[in-house]
Amino acid sequence: MIDYRARFRSNLAIAACGLAAFAVVPFVANSGLMFLAGLVAINIVFGMSWNLLFSGAGLLSFGHAMFFGGGAYAMALVSLHWPGLPFLLGLAIGAGAGALIALVFGVIALRRASGVYFAVLTLVFSELIHLVITKTTFLGRNDGLVGIPRPTIETGLFTLDLTSATAYYYFIVVAMACAAFALWCFQNSPAGRLIQAIRQDNLRTAFLGTSIFGWQLTAFVLSGALAAFCGAVMVPFTQIASPEIAYWTVSTQPILFTLLGGAGNFWGPAVGAILFGAIDYGTRAMHGLSEITVGTLLLLVVLLIPGGLLGFLQHRRQKKRRKPTEPAPKRTEAQP
Amino acid sequence: MTAILEARGLTKAYGSVRVLEDVDFDLQDGEAHVVIGPNGAGKTTLFRCLSGETRINGGTIRFAGEDVSGLTGAQRVKRGIGRTFQVARIFPSMSAFENLIVAIETRERTHQGLRFTFGYIAPRRAVVAEAERLVTELGLEDTVDDVAGTLSHGDKKRLELAMCLALKPRLLMLDEPTAGMSPSDRAEAVRLITRVRDSYGLSLLLTEHDMEVVFGLATRLTVLHHGEIIASGQPEAVRADPRVREVYLGQH
Amino acid sequence: MYDIGMTVFNGLAWAMATFLVAAGLTLIFGILHILNFAHGGFFMIGAYVSYSIMLGFGGGLPLWLYLVRAMAAGVVVGLLGWVVDKLVFRRLRDVEDAYSLIATYALLLICGGAVTLIWGLNYMGVMPPPALNSVIFLGDMFMPTYTIFIIFCGVAAFVGLELFISKTRTGRLIRVVAADPWMAQLLGLNVKRIYLVTVIVSFAMAGAAGGLLMPNQSLSPELGGIFLLQAFGVVILGGMGSIRGAFVAAIVLGLIESFGTYFFPQYPGIFFLLALGVILLLRPEGIMGKEQTA
Repeated sequence: MIDYRARFRSNLAIAACGLAAFAVVPFVANSGLMFLAGLVAINIVFGMSWNLLFSGAGLLSFGHAMFFGGGAYAMALVSLHWPGLPFLLGLAIGAGAGALIALVFGVIALRRASGVYFAVLTLVFSELIHLVITKTTFLGRNDGLVGIPRPTIETGLFTLDLTSATAYYYFIVVAMACAAFALWCFQNSPAGRLIQAIRQDNLRTAFLGTSIFGWQLTAFVLSGALAAFCGAVMVPFTQIASPEIAYWTVSTQPILFTLLGGAGNFWGPAVGAILFGAIDYGTRAMHGLSEITVGTLLLLVVLLIPGGLLGFLQHRRQKKRRKPTEPAPKRTEAQP
Repeated sequence: MTAILEARGLTKAYGSVRVLEDVDFDLQDGEAHVVIGPNGAGKTTLFRCLSGETRINGGTIRFAGEDVSGLTGAQRVKRGIGRTFQVARIFPSMSAFENLIVAIETRERTHQGLRFTFGYIAPRRAVVAEAERLVTELGLEDTVDDVAGTLSHGDKKRLELAMCLALKPRLLMLDEPTAGMSPSDRAEAVRLITRVRDSYGLSLLLTEHDMEVVFGLATRLTVLHHGEIIASGQPEAVRADPRVREVYLGQH
Repeated sequence: MYDIGMTVFNGLAWAMATFLVAAGLTLIFGILHILNFAHGGFFMIGAYVSYSIMLGFGGGLPLWLYLVRAMAAGVVVGLLGWVVDKLVFRRLRDVEDAYSLIATYALLLICGGAVTLIWGLNYMGVMPPPALNSVIFLGDMFMPTYTIFIIFCGVAAFVGLELFISKTRTGRLIRVVAADPWMAQLLGLNVKRIYLVTVIVSFAMAGAAGGLLMPNQSLSPELGGIFLLQAFGVVILGGMGSIRGAFVAAIVLGLIESFGTYFFPQYPGIFFLLALGVILLLRPEGIMGKEQTA
């Protein structure tokens, strides 16, 4: 039998190590690196939100930029037009925007399309939203919305000042940790297991008496809300919401993170996002090199180690552990 | 006895090919009703129509007095019709035990509300206990921790049966429950099915090829041929029916 | 009258330019069942290669040299296709759809990176060859000769591809493999070779399209993505790799796009997407796709 509680504890330990690592960044790195680390933290959860669909529900989305961008623009609009609104409420509106986009799109698309067609539909929808943004004056057209202030949070007891980059960096780390925790709880809840089951055999789940459509839609909406939350958290950090964050290349980012790190593992997108950030930073002097490196790595992962980096390590470890007890069967010398 | 499942004028066509033609079919509460017939007679199609896997082109299906013709398979499951598949359908990357957990939790989800989606980081004790009971009942002890996709053919079938039982159905539909098994496994499967039928008070609907299994289980037998029912009744009576002999022995 | 004529003309121009890119894409989609993200990347490489060749000649090319140059780009990219098939596509046969889609996206990334490394990030503008750099007046409609040339190329590509598939031996073999690769293998056909030929033809078409369409664009490493989405739409809407379907879909989407832009000039590019989304939702299997059974 599976020891669920032990699994929970070990994941908590991993999360604590990760949090500690992110917490020391401002002490050991310059502001440029801290900025990068903040984006990586956001990307981790962005990747996880995509992986909830891919590994969880078995849906391939090539349009996650529409949620990310939707959340970012909602946040930007709220903070520019209603500066009095509590910051956390703004974040909730951002996430809600993503959930709404996901709901509308999901209700239409999930019934009609599957597989590659679904992927292309997400791509088309997301590009549509990107185009609308670039043509709408209200949303700043190609220039985007600029000058978004960093917030202060009034709790009643004390005031949390997040106007400095470092303070907001810590807020990002905490917010992302909470989001990841909520996602973990969902994926390990009965509903999370059910969504997993739908991916593995949807006919069987239908004949357990569940609506496949309903649960796929649930996963889709949650994923959209989470991606939008990431976008909303990012906006005060970069202080700009530009149309590029709704462009389709952004949609491919979480795919990169997840597959590089390992789609089968909850922490895969985290490993991938950190790796991706490192490659991007390491090759920043030479334009084009980062794309080639990432592209080649991704290709290698897909062709040789579909489990990604974590899947590969796990496989190696299992092999090693098995060795002393049951050696691999020797190949028979005499072949017929 | 009352009919728990009643089908009237059932018609199903794939394109221009009519697979079922105006079929009337009754299943009494508590009986073990086996449908047999040569390959291509429409057994599987009848199964798919009754379970809701495919839509019918004409006729009505009533379950426990309620018209379920327009309901999806999932909705029929909620009303108490469970089913297995010819090739056992399970969740291959989960362990056998997790397969059971999913089945039990799915049955309970309507009572759980939002707690179902966030409330637990581990299955509840009651769920685990129920899964353990199913494991013992169906003799899955040796394989509970194995990844379900790696189980043997027979174990997969037993696991699927256990998952269906977890749904607490009134009517269980078994599609070729012993397909691909060795003779000794078949006898074991017959004993198992008889046992769960008694202990759960199930009505059974089966399709089956193997005659020993058929006569070992059936309390009622229906013969399907070219999409029509040519005989239905007590197994011994059906066995003696001249039309059935004609179909099976090919005396035209 | 003038407006309608011009709008149709613009729509056809959009349609044929897109079809030039989509033709190769639909070929691979139909036969290998891979939706090739990298197609846009190799289209872009074709454009850049022919740009480099043009620099070698020093601009102001006669029409025939311009065509030769586009063909040369096709040959180069076709050779790249040979490499890609050996290294990548061959290994994608047994991979899940989602993963093969992602693999081709990885290829697109590599293409974009390579172009940036070799040719840099700057935009480069290219003029059409002098022979095509004029305007024809028809009544009061003015039609750039270059655009007419592109429409002509699109139709020629369609006719050529149709003839290739229906009349040549290789084309017939390709159709057999597309319909049932397992049966083709059983009949003793060299399925691997036919796949290889398909990939090379498809890539060569991408490269040549890059060479032909280059003067319309300002070259930049983002070029791949711009045409890719349009071509994707055309291929998907055309149905599973149907060349005729893609041709029809290109014209339909082109006309919708140009009429939409005519009535709402502030929203170029949106109508094609809207139409694509709506049509796909109504008929997920595309215009020429088969009805799903049961």
